[in-house]
Amino acid sequence: MSVHKDILPPELIKDRGSLHPINHMKDSIMNLLVSFGFEIIDGPEIETEEFNFDMLNIKKSHPARQMHDTFYVENKSNLLRTHTSPVQIRGMLEKKPPLAFISGGKVYRKDDDATHLPMFHQVEGIYVDENVSFAQLKDLIYKIIYSLFGEDVELRFRPSYFPFTEPSAEVDILSKEGKWLEILGCGLVNPVVLENCNIDSDRYSGLAFGLGVERIAMLKHGVTDIREFYKSNLDFLSQFK
Amino acid sequence: MKIAYRHLVQHILENPSIDHISDSLFQLGHEHEIDGNIFDMEFTPNRGDCLSINGLLRDLAVFYTIDLDQEIYTEKLDELSIDFENLSHSTCPQISFLKLEIDQVPEIYKDCLDNYFSDLGLNKNNFFTDVSNYLSYETGQPTHCYDASKINNKLVFNEIESYEEFQTLLDRKITLTGNNAVFSLNNEVINLAGVVGGKSTSCSTNTKVVIVECAFFQPEAIIGKSVKYDIQSEASYKFERGVDSKCHDRVLRRFINIVNDHTNIKDMSIISHKYKDNPIVQIPVNVHKINQIIGINISEKEYLNYLSKLGFDIEGSFIKVPSFRSDVKTQNDLAEEVARAIGYNNIESSEISIPKKDKPPHKDIEKKLKYFLLDHGFYEVINSPFVSLSSENAIKVDNPLDSNREFLRTNITNSLIDNLLFNERRQKDSIKLFEISDIYSSNNGINKKRKLSIIASGRTGLNFEEFSNKINKKYLTTLFAEILPNEVLDFKILSRDLLDTKIKNEIISLEVDINKFPIDILSYDEISKSPEGFIQYSPISDLPSSFKDISYSIKDHSKTQELQNLLLNYHSDIIKNVYIFDYFKNEKQGEIKIGFRFIFQSKKITLKSADIELVYNDIVQKSLRINGIKIPGF
Repeated sequence: MSVHKDILPPELIKDRGSLHPINHMKDSIMNLLVSFGFEIIDGPEIETEEFNFDMLNIKKSHPARQMHDTFYVENKSNLLRTHTSPVQIRGMLEKKPPLAFISGGKVYRKDDDATHLPMFHQVEGIYVDENVSFAQLKDLIYKIIYSLFGEDVELRFRPSYFPFTEPSAEVDILSKEGKWLEILGCGLVNPVVLENCNIDSDRYSGLAFGLGVERIAMLKHGVTDIREFYKSNLDFLSQFK
Repeated sequence: MKIAYRHLVQHILENPSIDHISDSLFQLGHEHEIDGNIFDMEFTPNRGDCLSINGLLRDLAVFYTIDLDQEIYTEKLDELSIDFENLSHSTCPQISFLKLEIDQVPEIYKDCLDNYFSDLGLNKNNFFTDVSNYLSYETGQPTHCYDASKINNKLVFNEIESYEEFQTLLDRKITLTGNNAVFSLNNEVINLAGVVGGKSTSCSTNTKVVIVECAFFQPEAIIGKSVKYDIQSEASYKFERGVDSKCHDRVLRRFINIVNDHTNIKDMSIISHKYKDNPIVQIPVNVHKINQIIGINISEKEYLNYLSKLGFDIEGSFIKVPSFRSDVKTQNDLAEEVARAIGYNNIESSEISIPKKDKPPHKDIEKKLKYFLLDHGFYEVINSPFVSLSSENAIKVDNPLDSNREFLRTNITNSLIDNLLFNERRQKDSIKLFEISDIYSSNNGINKKRKLSIIASGRTGLNFEEFSNKINKKYLTTLFAEILPNEVLDFKILSRDLLDTKIKNEIISLEVDINKFPIDILSYDEISKSPEGFIQYSPISDLPSSFKDISYSIKDHSKTQELQNLLLNYHSDIIKNVYIFDYFKNEKQGEIKIGFRFIFQSKKITLKSADIELVYNDIVQKSLRINGIKIPGF
């Protein structure tokens, strides 16, 4: 028997790599927000107390500023940003309203357990214009949540507290198991913050929101231990293609 | 904070159920869990005023009719003569002292005091401390009780730099360091203000004469102290969040009343020091602004009605903020009060339209690089920046979580080496990883660089064309020449000498500034696509894996596809992966040789040879049923 000329070799299956699921989730959220009209801006991970706290109306006495919550560097001259909000401060100082920014990236807090890590990722957004209201913020949040979790998802707004927004809210979604899960924080930009950025708070108001990327990635992918994302295990990473 | 349902509901005329109150609390933003008949409350840091029965009732008044029938002592009181000096008025702008002498210490507690301990399952200490603790629960104002017989000299309050030992009333010795607000007697600290009292002046079960201290401390002076000294302190939790500066007289008169309900008071006197008055906050009535902030349309009457129920006084065209609401200062704060009263979920959303600006096309070199690497089998990783000292330019973290990781990394490669070894220990023989990250260093200020680092080792790919080829500098240089034909990238061969591994494969790495990549890369046409959905993760196994190869000789070439279909789709719980590692068409002998590699790993148990043999034999038998196929040597 001779070799048939028409027998082809097996399909050459070349292994493709994958984006890290956290970066993929971050990019997905940011792409969604860009489609709503937000512009991406970046800022440093090593920040000053002024931009990370003072400009955001986080007072010297706020617990977040304590050494047990925030990583300070170089003899307390700077810190590792605890949120991406300082990027928005830098953006507001540079540009005049109307403005709509998002920033995403690594942030740092002194936590370490199955649901918290000292380094994690946030996506935050801000929109400043005339007559921005809490009712509009709700509309935006519905759009974000429905895009991420589908229009069947049930969500609720709860009053909360962030020094840089007033009124402030946290948003929960109802899981399939009937448990409310916190998804994001949001609110109307505190006029003090607008004034700190030389924006006339009598004329302009703003809305702001922030999402924890790991939290959403855990829910979307069904990962129960946040530490799995950062072991760099190829068996784990190869699932996210 | 734990609050008993019945302690709330006894003051609410509508007599709502526990679930009804629970819903109301959620609407107001007070998170909690219910354990039996106890609310386990978690308040936001701005609502120190709610850390009590009365505080919660003040908020619930927006929904219910509240009847606070707590009696206070209303008679005129003698002025207390106490030798006291306040050396830090800014830290303690107001303080009051009440001295009480009782006939005998009561053995049985009554009414609210008894309910407090029994309903919440709390341990009693001594009579006066127990009354103080209850009052903190009822009013939100912590008080401290000194045994009057132990206050034998001038009592001094000051905020001082200190380094001395202090024995708490819980019999624990702590060393005070740095700045602390303290009360001293005879030059010794007897009370860490707002946090915990000292043992030397504390009350006992025999105490019959007490001095009750009721103070307002600036939160900045108290904050962080309980964490610093590892003391569980409800008082500091309240002072940190702010207490009502105007409640002292009422609280101390309530103290008298409760003591009086339990025993005969022989003598009592009081003194109040006010060094500085907290200003009253007044905000103009402006319902238009409130409607604009929330995006609603309510009348001024409805607006003011909400605020009135929450304890705000309306005086002419101004809203007077009550002294217990130190968090309310602006129209936005008032808007939040109204929004909570209406219910965030009851506010209709209103269409938002963010004006879209014409933006320049986003030239994303980083994204192109990523997809180029994905196309060639590289996986993206993200590593922690915290490392041990890696370079003299490394930035030091003042308060690291782990003292062995007190610096920020100055390169990504070292993290990738750890990732590589981690995967090699898990029997991976083709490893290609990359990370893109900002890297910071200290050199005349803080410097930031955005870097790409890659690491690769082992087989160039897990397929029959690449299986026998090992990753080396030439492989990677050729790879990158596809997108950067004019660039010379500095690939490095990393030594394994200092690595804890017996594997010999070369490790090739590259670390380069992203900014150095030319825009030529933007013309690269990627194959890989971003995942369309979000894959449901399947838990991975950390148990050891092993492999078995099966090589076939095929004379009837038409059966090649049938064999592939059988083996590549063979299912077993212990087969993690299968791929063709060898393929050779021998024209002269009219034979095709094809080799399959099976990777075995269980998610539940460490596999034994017998477990693998069982599956292996089944694969062999099923494949040999295909005519014209042989396993040489089998």
